Amino acid sequence: MTGKDSAVGRSAPPSHLRVYGVHKRFGGVHALRGVDFEVARGEVMALVGDNGAGKSTLMKVIAGAHTADEGEFWMDDRQVTVNSPHDAAELGIQVVYQDLALCENLDVSANLSLGAEPVSSGWRILPRMLRPIDDLEMEVRAQKAINRLEVRTLKSVRSNVGGLSGGQRQAIAIARAVGTESSVVLLDEPTAALGVAQTRQVLDVVKRLRDTNHAVVYISHNLRDVFEIADRICVLRHGGNVATWSVKDTAPDEIVGAMTRGLDVRDGNAA
Amino acid sequence: MLPETNRTIVDRLRELRQTRFGAFVPVLLALAAIWFYFGVAVPLWDFWSDPDATGIRFIFLSPRNIYNLFMQSAVIATLAVGITIVLLLGDIDLSAAATAGVCAALLGVLVLAGVPGWLACLIVMGVGIVMGAAQGLLVAYVGIPSFVVTLAGLLGYQGLMQKILPTGNLNIGDPFVRSIARVLIPDFWGLVLATALVAFVTALALRRQARRKARGLELDSGLAIWGQVAFFAVLVYAAVITMNSYRSLPLMILLLVALTALVGWVTTSTPFGRSIFAVGGNAESARRVGMNVKRIRVAAFGIVGLMAAIGGIFGASRFGSVSYTAFAGGSLLLESIGAAVIGGTSLFGGRGSVWNAILGALVIGSLGNGLDLSGASAADKLMFSGAILILAVAIDSISRPAGGSPR
Repeated sequence: MTGKDSAVGRSAPPSHLRVYGVHKRFGGVHALRGVDFEVARGEVMALVGDNGAGKSTLMKVIAGAHTADEGEFWMDDRQVTVNSPHDAAELGIQVVYQDLALCENLDVSANLSLGAEPVSSGWRILPRMLRPIDDLEMEVRAQKAINRLEVRTLKSVRSNVGGLSGGQRQAIAIARAVGTESSVVLLDEPTAALGVAQTRQVLDVVKRLRDTNHAVVYISHNLRDVFEIADRICVLRHGGNVATWSVKDTAPDEIVGAMTRGLDVRDGNAA
Repeated sequence: MLPETNRTIVDRLRELRQTRFGAFVPVLLALAAIWFYFGVAVPLWDFWSDPDATGIRFIFLSPRNIYNLFMQSAVIATLAVGITIVLLLGDIDLSAAATAGVCAALLGVLVLAGVPGWLACLIVMGVGIVMGAAQGLLVAYVGIPSFVVTLAGLLGYQGLMQKILPTGNLNIGDPFVRSIARVLIPDFWGLVLATALVAFVTALALRRQARRKARGLELDSGLAIWGQVAFFAVLVYAAVITMNSYRSLPLMILLLVALTALVGWVTTSTPFGRSIFAVGGNAESARRVGMNVKRIRVAAFGIVGLMAAIGGIFGASRFGSVSYTAFAGGSLLLESIGAAVIGGTSLFGGRGSVWNAILGALVIGSLGNGLDLSGASAADKLMFSGAILILAVAIDSISRPAGGSPR
């Protein structure tokens, strides 16, 4: 089968984040049945699968929102544990959830620094929560983050997020995730609700992430976007791996087949 | 944004509300309209319709009336500033006036028992914080909606006030407490203060602009900066000069402005204030970036309690007495919530400003004062207040950014 040659561990680049044998049960539901997954720096790894395949569960396990029942986590060559979102953030793993979680009443720079506002030096007698925000520093940082991702359509970092387009919001959410010293960025259906032009904008941002040596996990239903943006595609089905393909070696039909029927030959790839 | 030609009035209103300064405009317009009506239109009408009138009498806009108006509105404004904080979170506090009543009653009992005035004020402020924070704990950690918690608080604290003041009335003669409303800043020093304030604001604006330039950030237009400074200067001088031409600037108004400036600074310029806006805008987002949403809620309710206690002290000082009807049992609660909402603070959380609450309190105060002067009945006053409130909330709803879900 074509899947075998390009599966995990063959011609793949050295992984940055790697999980082995992840199991997750919700009561009687066995959502993940020993999933392996890896992503390297400077690549976009697409995670695809039909509804209920376990994509979201796997993403939440990696992000620390769910704790895996079994499984090993490796960052570069170090074994790590991820039991909470805080652990994941410490390791540089950031997630952009589908609902983005931006504050529409605040401007772009406030959203990008949310929870980590720079405060002016001095004022040491006050607790940190009550020191004056250095909003100029905040704007400088925001401008840098926006420039790094080349979000050209954004007029000003002082515009309210409530007035931005869906693509711009997605870009802001990604910029926020990247801004915090992250090396792994998980994107959950980033183009699901967007039009053509906005999708293009977001895909450009994702490409910029790859170029800046981030490890990008791209979760999507939209195979056209996946084939445009991804370097490798990992297919899940019924909570287990089907296979991982290099985009060069496969075609949408094959991926759709793998998503819906699995592989004809069960030769270990599904483990 | 939309092309110039396609913008409707509603779009323009929305854009206006987006800017920090523009949020003042609707409430200022409302205030101007009310002042014009009572101050100019009604006297002119009376003059023309009455053949025996000897001259036009501008009672409403006389310095004496403006002075009284400010003093009348001060207690409402103090509570409204506090309530604005919880409204920013998307919560509500129905117990603020009852808290103020309990604090004022406690103050009266304490000074009667011989506790020095300043100490009694501090104790009462502490009690206010505890009363507010206790409700905040129930909202944040037990998860009861703030409407229910503070409704229970309203009833409970009303009862508590009656327990403290079985007679329902207590005179306060303590010189320290009375001095808050009685002490006047001498005319000269009032003007010096105003000048210093304007100079401070100007220096701040210029320094900010210089630093923006130095760091290569986009600059505000010079017109906007100088316009804001000039507007601020006109407002400050007009207020001080008007007060001076009747008596002088009262200490209570100065304290109110200083308190509002402090609370305003905390809400707009500190990580704590930013977290209040973030929780009000999108609590899930605030939680994900690691903010302690529950603690922020408790702190906000603590601030309302503090502001309510201070409002109670102001009220006790101004009336020289504490009575059940002046606080817990009267219209103070609805007037202060109305003031916050008329000021443009959204009931859905995340948008608003404490300065607008002061303007809103002036709107409510002016309406009551003007209707009193023109001999309207209590029934008319209630109906007018209701209409103004509906108008304010309607403006809020229309000017909310399109597509934004009501949070």
